[in-house]
Amino acid sequence: MTARLALRGLAIVAVALVAIGLLPVTLVAAVAVGVAWHSGWQPARLYRAAAWSLPMLAVWLAATAITRHSLAPASPQQAWLALSRGRYLAAAVLIAPIAVPAGLLAGGLAWSFRLASMTAQAAGRSPAAAVSFDDRQWRHQVRAAKALIAAPGAVPLLTARGDFAAGAVIRTAGHPAGRLTVLPASRLRSHQIVIGGTGTGKSTLLLRLWAAYLATGLQRHAARLAGPPLIVVLDCKGGGDARRIADRARRILYETGARNVAIWPDEASLSLWTLPPRQLISTLVDLIEHGTGGAAYYTDVMEAVVMLAVEAPPGPPASTAEFLTRLDSGWLSLAYAAGGYDEQLALARSAARQVPDIALRFRTLFRRLGPGLDGPGNLGDADAWYCILEGTAEVAVAEAQARALVDVLASFVAGPASAAGQPPRQVLLAVDEFSAVARRLPIWQLYERARSLGLSVQVSAQSWHGLAARQDDRYRLAATAEGGIWLLGTPHPDPVTALAGQRAALSTSRQLAGRLRWTRHGSSQLRDVPVADPNRVRALEPGQAAYIHHGGVTFTQVKRLVAGPAALATAPRDGQPAAPPEPALPDSAAPDTMRLATGDRLPDVAGLLDAAFGPAPGSPP
Amino acid sequence: MTQGAALADAESAALLFTAEMYGLQLDQLAELLSGTPRQAKATVARWTGDGLADSGVLSQGPPWVWLTRRGLQACGLPYAASSPALGRLGHIRAVAAARLALQSVPGYRNGSAHWRSERRLRARIGSQRAARDHLPDAEVHWPDVPASGVSPDWAGECWAIEVELTPKTVTRTIAIMRELLARTGDYGCPAAEARVTGLPPRHLRAIYLCSPAATGTVLRAREALGSLSARIEVRALPPSAYLPARTPA
Repeated sequence: MTARLALRGLAIVAVALVAIGLLPVTLVAAVAVGVAWHSGWQPARLYRAAAWSLPMLAVWLAATAITRHSLAPASPQQAWLALSRGRYLAAAVLIAPIAVPAGLLAGGLAWSFRLASMTAQAAGRSPAAAVSFDDRQWRHQVRAAKALIAAPGAVPLLTARGDFAAGAVIRTAGHPAGRLTVLPASRLRSHQIVIGGTGTGKSTLLLRLWAAYLATGLQRHAARLAGPPLIVVLDCKGGGDARRIADRARRILYETGARNVAIWPDEASLSLWTLPPRQLISTLVDLIEHGTGGAAYYTDVMEAVVMLAVEAPPGPPASTAEFLTRLDSGWLSLAYAAGGYDEQLALARSAARQVPDIALRFRTLFRRLGPGLDGPGNLGDADAWYCILEGTAEVAVAEAQARALVDVLASFVAGPASAAGQPPRQVLLAVDEFSAVARRLPIWQLYERARSLGLSVQVSAQSWHGLAARQDDRYRLAATAEGGIWLLGTPHPDPVTALAGQRAALSTSRQLAGRLRWTRHGSSQLRDVPVADPNRVRALEPGQAAYIHHGGVTFTQVKRLVAGPAALATAPRDGQPAAPPEPALPDSAAPDTMRLATGDRLPDVAGLLDAAFGPAPGSPP
Repeated sequence: MTQGAALADAESAALLFTAEMYGLQLDQLAELLSGTPRQAKATVARWTGDGLADSGVLSQGPPWVWLTRRGLQACGLPYAASSPALGRLGHIRAVAAARLALQSVPGYRNGSAHWRSERRLRARIGSQRAARDHLPDAEVHWPDVPASGVSPDWAGECWAIEVELTPKTVTRTIAIMRELLARTGDYGCPAAEARVTGLPPRHLRAIYLCSPAATGTVLRAREALGSLSARIEVRALPPSAYLPARTPA
């Protein structure tokens, strides 16, 4: 025991003597370790700094060789001499070429040793020291990341290589450690999941992801690699908050390069009736909630009647009013009475008793859905559609709207424009607050079809359980999220963090020597710990996110995109939708525009134009 | 004012007109100067002699005249000097003919209307964003109080002028009409101000001047606009709008 203590004492003395003998190197190493501790740096950063200072050493050696015709440096002796004469600045300049790289390297090694011993719980006064050390380092890393995102221009939306920068790195595990959280642009075109509760910065992250998708999409389009980008956002929460976010999204997307950002259904409409007849039948039947068992019979009757109405000889209906007109046994019999439709005519007559009930259900449905799906308007009219679904106030309506909008989107993506040999549009479907419509929106079906359609799907929810009603569906969604999972502050992150897997880590036990005293004796063993620490995720502050991808995690301080001044003149009341939409305005026509279009009559300029160009085409001479 | 001074005034105005329209054919210059082609030719000879303009036969029909860098500098216009693009000669002639036709109407002169050309709009936007914003072929601004003192009913309005020689698709035409009617900001303004909810639209009307081939498409697009169609006026281009080689469909 005594011999061991003596050896330890000797070692300390030897280290101290070396440290004093190499005082400049020791000073640089001490400063480097101090800065790394204060800023939460990894040792690799000190090694990189040492490598970057090597050119200074090379120049100094070259200068020495040229002036003294020898590679043996004299400056250490000269530095000591200068130091003894009190010329501290001269001493520092003379020794810096050697001391800086060596000091940084030594500091990196010392810091690496410290981190490793703390991670293995082998250092510190008590076993709990490792925990407090890690917490302290986390705070330092957060502080450095916040400082980085606060610096103007330090975190661009896209890097020079066209990759997406989400924010500043706080900490990584299993991912490369850099200053910025950088994702390849291709990752944005894959399916992603975002999970975060209210007030955690989810909207900020989503806006940044959408802007980056648009920016990279425009770059690809300009390079003729793909068609123009299209973003369709389904905000399934609704209410005043949704409209505020819609306005913010519009301003950010305009500044990113979008020409038209349509807000549905407040300012723009889409047409359900442009769907191909077969798809239209399927969508219309699915809009009505129906049961199983005995109710399946009525579903079959309803599907037959809808098919008769849609595939009637005059062609598919062009509007809700036309469709409802057709849900009449007299109309159906007359439409198919022309000959050659005996089978359909017989079907129409046999279903005549149910037709009024079916018509009543559809009339009620379309009254609740509002005019937003009655056109005119096409998804191709805008670069981005922000669709507000009142999922909080009217869940059933939001579910039906979501179903219809997704069908319209799928039809648009697979439509004739794509088949005509033009490069397909890059489409992102972002479903925010997915839990509000998860019951009737088979998003995982779309996930599986999406890749062939060139469609990327991004689902966001408040929690893991909000992703889908069944555990199987949640895991199916998570497993196909090739673009990664963004996890913000949430109380139950364990299922998602488990997806990042585990890694081996050293765990050391210490022998208790007395009350709150531990010896340095003990044993170490390897054990598996989660790559993404769920407790760390639970404690994430607003604006912080954990990006889980490919068995690794990057904790990020997300950089907020700043939009231009507010564009909404008046904020709608919470929980209530804004004024009914003006049809046929996929881009942001102002309320005054509506007034001009519908109310006040413009002065007649026909006289002036007739005098200059003649009468209008088609008008009487 | 002496006859010489009036002539100099007219020529200065014609120089500005030529600069704004990218270039003119000699017959249009003669119409602008209210003179004969021979007088127009003499004017062009003076301009070219002074280094203000250049001329050449770019298409069938009369020669074209356009301003040189020195001419543009003399007009105080910050445009890049170049001859009219060969692929746009038909369109340039049609827009110039539309402007001449509109200027010939007393109501236009009495209203002190101002023609803001596409070249000026493009110069405001800059080359980078020009590809993304759809630019009208011109804007016509009607001042609230014209010099004549008698305001027309439409005083204070700004119109977008669109000249359609060849038909686009109906969908594309609808998109352009909506973009024009929904715009709230001036060209070259920050993107966030281009379409701002709550602000009055920049273009109260869009005037479509169409060739016979394009008229059908434009009328169908206008019908599809619903209530907004009240803000779209459609007229035929004047007969002088076509290049001699072009036969209206």
